[in-house]
Amino acid sequence: MDNQILSIGGMTCAACAGRIERVVGKLPGVRRAAVNLASEKLFVEYDGASVPLSAIKEAVVKIGYEVLEKPPGGAVAIPVGGMTCAACAGRIEKTLRRLDGVIEASVNLAAEKAFVTYDPKRIRVSALRAAIEKLGYQALEADRTDAAEEDRRRKQREIRALWIRFAVAAVFSLPLLYIAMAPMITWVRLPFPASLAPMQFPLVYAVAELILVVPVIVVGYRFYTVGFKALWQRSPNMDSLIAVGTSAAFLYSVYNMWRITQGDFHAVDALYFETAGVIITLILLGKSLEAVSKGRTSEAIKKLMGLAPKTAVVFRDGAETEIPIDEVEIGDVLLVRPGAKIPVDGTVREGHTAVDESMLTGESMPVDKQAGDEVYAATLNTNGVVQVTATRVGGDTALARIIKLVEDAQGSKAPIAQLADIVSGYFVPIVCAIALLSGVAWYIGRGDVSFALTIFISVLVIACPCALGLATPTAIMVGTGKGAENGILIKGGEALETAHKVNTIVFDKTGTVTEGKPTVTDILPVGALSKEELWRLTASAEQGSEHPLGQAIVHGARAEGLALSLAERFTALTGRGVEAVVDGAAVLVGNAALMEERGVALTLAGSDRLAEEGKTPMYVARDGQLAGVVAVADVVKPSSRAAIESLHRMGIEGAMITGDNRRTAAAIARQVGIDRVLSEVLPQDKSSEIQKLQREGKRVAMVGDGINDAPALVQADIGIAIGSGTDVAMESADIVLMRSDLMDVPTAIRLSRRTIRNIKQNLFWAFGYNTIGIPVAAGVLYLLGGPLLSPIFAAAAMSLSSVSVLTNALRLKRFRADREEVSAA
Amino acid sequence: MKRLLLCALCAALLLLTACRALDVIGNGSVTSFAGVLDALPAAAAGDTWMLTAPDGAAAFVWSGDFSRTGVYDAWLELDAAPFVAAGLDPGRLPDGMAQGERLVAGASLGAQAPAPEVSESPVLSYGQIVAQQRARIGHHAAMDHFGVDLDGGFMFEWARDMAANDKDIVFVLNPEPFRQAGADVGAIEGWALAMVETMDEAGRPIEVEKLLKPFDIG
Repeated sequence: MDNQILSIGGMTCAACAGRIERVVGKLPGVRRAAVNLASEKLFVEYDGASVPLSAIKEAVVKIGYEVLEKPPGGAVAIPVGGMTCAACAGRIEKTLRRLDGVIEASVNLAAEKAFVTYDPKRIRVSALRAAIEKLGYQALEADRTDAAEEDRRRKQREIRALWIRFAVAAVFSLPLLYIAMAPMITWVRLPFPASLAPMQFPLVYAVAELILVVPVIVVGYRFYTVGFKALWQRSPNMDSLIAVGTSAAFLYSVYNMWRITQGDFHAVDALYFETAGVIITLILLGKSLEAVSKGRTSEAIKKLMGLAPKTAVVFRDGAETEIPIDEVEIGDVLLVRPGAKIPVDGTVREGHTAVDESMLTGESMPVDKQAGDEVYAATLNTNGVVQVTATRVGGDTALARIIKLVEDAQGSKAPIAQLADIVSGYFVPIVCAIALLSGVAWYIGRGDVSFALTIFISVLVIACPCALGLATPTAIMVGTGKGAENGILIKGGEALETAHKVNTIVFDKTGTVTEGKPTVTDILPVGALSKEELWRLTASAEQGSEHPLGQAIVHGARAEGLALSLAERFTALTGRGVEAVVDGAAVLVGNAALMEERGVALTLAGSDRLAEEGKTPMYVARDGQLAGVVAVADVVKPSSRAAIESLHRMGIEGAMITGDNRRTAAAIARQVGIDRVLSEVLPQDKSSEIQKLQREGKRVAMVGDGINDAPALVQADIGIAIGSGTDVAMESADIVLMRSDLMDVPTAIRLSRRTIRNIKQNLFWAFGYNTIGIPVAAGVLYLLGGPLLSPIFAAAAMSLSSVSVLTNALRLKRFRADREEVSAA
Repeated sequence: MKRLLLCALCAALLLLTACRALDVIGNGSVTSFAGVLDALPAAAAGDTWMLTAPDGAAAFVWSGDFSRTGVYDAWLELDAAPFVAAGLDPGRLPDGMAQGERLVAGASLGAQAPAPEVSESPVLSYGQIVAQQRARIGHHAAMDHFGVDLDGGFMFEWARDMAANDKDIVFVLNPEPFRQAGADVGAIEGWALAMVETMDEAGRPIEVEKLLKPFDIG
């Protein structure tokens, strides 16, 4: 299956999004199609062998929308010096086009620039410049345009175009509204040109209104082209409602103009040009505000994209050369000076420094880096000069993967969005029917075409479902973006929604609740064996172990200067311990269960006390006889207690799952305030323990950091991988915490609750506007002696609904992480 | 600059021409007035034209040359007898209104001399009123009548479409001066006192009392 994200132009409401999803989803080979109205993106999962991407694009274009193509490769503008005529430009163009990897090249003689689209995998900008220089011209430093920048510029152009359209519409609509309303306002005498007096010069008055409304309709032409096209294809959308409503007003007014020319001067009272004009103007105002707000919802992604450095200093042929970031290849040796950003992911080859990784992890303290340590793109080298060997470049860097993850999340749909999708699918046709029925009913009741038309237009205009379409995606975009800013990567709308329902959180102990760096605390030898001998024996046996407890014993022994013996026939006994042959003796190191299994009598006083103190006693047996106990303790993270308390305040039960014995686990749990302990659980059984909790009716989140946690992360309703962890944990988890701080768990839950509450508020407003607005527009209040809603006020209310939903979603930007609140407190 | 001025002048002329062409009430009133004159020809009286009601009790008089007529350029002439019979004391009427056996109420329309051919045609003469005093021409939607406002609440109205209207011409009087001069305005023979819907200066719909004398001449 292939995945693609396509930028879509021309969508205006949830009905448009739903229509694209339906049409693309029906194509053979398409497994999933989801449209995010707020980011204007189509996320499609498809089988490239069954349906080519071009067919998907064609299907979108066919129903009246645009697929906004990104340049197929890199794009660069190289300033060229030395050109004197068109022949020079042509020569450079020809040469560039012949180069392998160049997709398109054009030279602008006046601007003295060569614009080249190229495949960065096949050719570098330096090669393009070299080719130009070989022809005898000067190729200067290139201006590069990346896709994100291009997308930003495109959005800005769209917003500017919308504002211009609104300004033009307003310039014509305001006088139109004035001349339409001033003669009706009788309680105050407004200045009004006598030559336009409707009772004296009805046709002049009508023509003046027509002249003023035509430019407004011209700038709002998209409502008509898209709206009527959708209507003909029996899939009406918001534009269809605007188009039908304003067209009805316009055509009825033109008909009344004709009546005036036929001597029915009274028809001047039935002109609705201002209704059409002002509706379009207000909708354009709403769309302009909406575009600005939409841009703000994706600021988090823009910020992440902006983190990436544009160039890197690379050692080539013994010299330092600054090259564009896209030209860095795996294996290149890069020089990173203090204050510079690490250009790509890599390994420190030479030098020592501290790197500020807060932009990726949220961790404010710089991390020491020396030869062999991994460094990540976009992190900041704070003090030393280091050489870095590039290991991951382009889309494979941690930053690029985070951006992809956040982009995917922002494009995904929460289950709650399905409600809006279902409603909006039926909404427009139902509204059309209500408008028609109301209009006909009022016409039958009053016999007044103008009145019936007012009702018809008002219902159509007030019921536009754009707020409905924006309610969910905008909140998800802001929520997931806000999470990313705080080092909390939420993988999708579903994760966001499920997280808010969680009532039990199970923490893996080692590396999650504790630091995961245990140290040896007690050594209790049996018989004549000295402490050093017991430690040396145990450490020798554990040399082959990857378990943190085993490694802690080995590191501790080495630090003490103990000479370790070679261990033979090493075997790791999952969840229980290890066995090996050391100096010819069979050594067994592990928990009580292992000793019981092997028939070793546990006759040592004091081992029970160790467990109660939260230490892990590692029993050591030599040739089947207990040799002693080495106790190892893992330090609890400073934030663990605060995190559990924060969860308790939220009404969430905390549980801890560990392979440790019951007493050790209970001791740790007491320290941090955890309610339930699941101890002595083998790694392979973690998943079934989660299942047991789920069978109790609990909504369970699992927080873990290691490969062995992956099945439990998948089994849980929400898997939370902590501390950026392993790739497997990241893949298995629904939420990835970039830092190792447990406070991010309540923050993630709180963010999900706030986001879902925000979505519910948005849906309430969106539905509220329509459920209240439609009956009012249909004249129910008027029927009961109340006021009648003018189509103009209906348009204003409709625009306000989208803006208020967006403004509400943007309130999420004020969300603050728990850690900040804790430190503030 | 000259070119700019020329353009502005051309645009203004174009706009003026367009506005005139679009003046459906002004132009329509001329057309329908010509229809009235076809049915009930006006008589020339010096520099004026006189359209007399079939019963002879009222006439609408308008000037062919505003520069040569006196106090009024368009006016109503009424037989005073029925008003006097209803108690009118002509001496208590506003100055100039009582002129022997006739009562006169009218408006001054200016002093501009028309083109020579204008004064020779009653229709073209009426057209002068439209051209120079357009604000006096109106359309009474309820009756589908055009009308000339002759100041003081006095009007002369005629049907836009005589074929579809049973009140082809209507003499409209403000009853107030007659009431104040002692007449029982409800008892003037040949005149009907009625409430008529119109608009005040601010454009608000109001009802006012009028004395009406309608005729079907078509």
